[in-house]
Amino acid sequence: MFLALKEIKKEKLRSGAIITMIVLICYLIFILTSLSLGLARQNTAAIKSWHVQRFALNSNANTDMRQSFLNDDQLGQLTKNEAVLGQGSVVAKAAGKEKLSAVFVGLKSNQFIAKNLQLTSGHPVRHAHEIVVDDSFQDKGYHLGSHLRLNDQKQRYTIVGFTKNAKLNIAPIVYGQLSTWKTMRGFEHGPSASAIVSKKASYRAQTAGITTYSTKQIINKLPGYQAQNTTFILMIAFLMVISLIIIAVFLYILTMQKMPNYAVLRAQGIPSKVLVGATISQSVLLVIFGLAIGSLLTAGTAFAMPAAVPMAFDVPMLAAVGLGLVLMALLGSLVPVRSVLRVDPISVIGG
Amino acid sequence: MNAISLQNVSHTYGSDTAQVHALHQLNFSAQSGTLNLVLGPSGSGKTTFLTIAGGLLTPTTGGVTIAGQNYTTLSKKQQDALRLSSIGFVLQAYHLLPYLKVKEQFKLVSQVKKTGNLSAAKLAEVLDMLEITDLLNKYPSELSGGQQQRVAIARALYPNPAIILADEPTAALDSQKVKVVGQLLADLAHQHDKAVIVVTHDPRLIEFADQIYDITDGVLTHKDTVQA
Repeated sequence: MFLALKEIKKEKLRSGAIITMIVLICYLIFILTSLSLGLARQNTAAIKSWHVQRFALNSNANTDMRQSFLNDDQLGQLTKNEAVLGQGSVVAKAAGKEKLSAVFVGLKSNQFIAKNLQLTSGHPVRHAHEIVVDDSFQDKGYHLGSHLRLNDQKQRYTIVGFTKNAKLNIAPIVYGQLSTWKTMRGFEHGPSASAIVSKKASYRAQTAGITTYSTKQIINKLPGYQAQNTTFILMIAFLMVISLIIIAVFLYILTMQKMPNYAVLRAQGIPSKVLVGATISQSVLLVIFGLAIGSLLTAGTAFAMPAAVPMAFDVPMLAAVGLGLVLMALLGSLVPVRSVLRVDPISVIGG
Repeated sequence: MNAISLQNVSHTYGSDTAQVHALHQLNFSAQSGTLNLVLGPSGSGKTTFLTIAGGLLTPTTGGVTIAGQNYTTLSKKQQDALRLSSIGFVLQAYHLLPYLKVKEQFKLVSQVKKTGNLSAAKLAEVLDMLEITDLLNKYPSELSGGQQQRVAIARALYPNPAIILADEPTAALDSQKVKVVGQLLADLAHQHDKAVIVVTHDPRLIEFADQIYDITDGVLTHKDTVQA
């Protein structure tokens, strides 16, 4: 540590150049991680807010709630741990306001999802023409009592409440009654719901033509969800590898320049472990400095970022990413360490 | 008392037809308080002699005793520890760590070898003798070549070794500076009771030596003993 700190202090330009590279990589990784997490949350926020373990969908729906329709016979007998919901895509429009693409979720007021909905303002849906919508509607100028139409219906709906974390597949949710969903879809005499959800992991739908899935299976089947996550994971992994290469290359060059000095120290009996320790410490310290500055930049970005940008700054996750970078630094330092272990003190004797 | 001795040391580089016999049945010993000069031309085996005497190379045959210990039977860790405590190297290339101030070059040694180093007063004496007291807060890049050499000597002396091994310490020095370095090495031997071994091709150091050896084609011959 002593040697590492002294070298970083003396060689400010070199150390600064490496730290700058690490800061940029850290910042990029942090931003990508936050964006990835933010988008993932916007895909799944509503499902997670329902606190359900199982989804039962029509067996032919390919694990997609939008394509699932269940009739009364298929719904069967439900306990208080189950609820039914109807899902459909809608376009919300109101005079003088921007059109909004949204997801309509029809609920039964006496079942747990509707009962447990956390409102930030207003009251729950009590009538067929009332809706509770995601907070993001407020950013578009909607407020309690605002009227809007859904798709090409003539019926006007009144916003009676706002709720947070009501997003499914990035689109804001419009919660209404299940009967409203049926009317909207023209299902007065047809299907009764899209899905049955259950709070119990042990729940299995018993009626014919229905398959039960875990929440994870449903989330993974959300359109674009896995492709998006895989893309982000790949980008972050590549950046991690790039950080490893940068640390390894820079440290290798710095170490090679010090080999004659190290050879003299080895000749004098300074153990290899002291020189190895200095190399590893230097690597870790450079990354920690880079991480600290990168974290400050990320915190500044989190503060300045508009709410419309789907980013979520999760400290434990960013800390885990930071730890990953420190591990990369340790791995990267193994390349120069190999050279340090092979330093030949005889090379500095005899001119 | 012998600070260091080499017994029947031979060393061969390469194998089969590419074999080079660098040292032949060499016997050598150096006592504390003496300056031993090993003179020889390039390719005579001086460097091999120095690296074996300094414990950096294991001879093909023969034994090396340093500070009373059979060096060749020690583990790597023990060899490092013995080199650090018993041998000070004064090399042609000083290679001071560029990012450590002069005083920190000593601190590095004290972090590894925590006891038995020169006391602050003794170190001050050595620094004074080498005329580098005023340079303690300078980096190597701020020093002249001569000043760096003297700092390297002080660094070699700081662990208070019994043996000083000097490799061509007067290479590229003018006669005036040869006298300064020669006197310094003699003082280390006589005033600080070190066994000083100087490997060189420079005959200008002969006037400072107590024992003079010649090495040619790997064969070491004792040439002279200078009476004090």
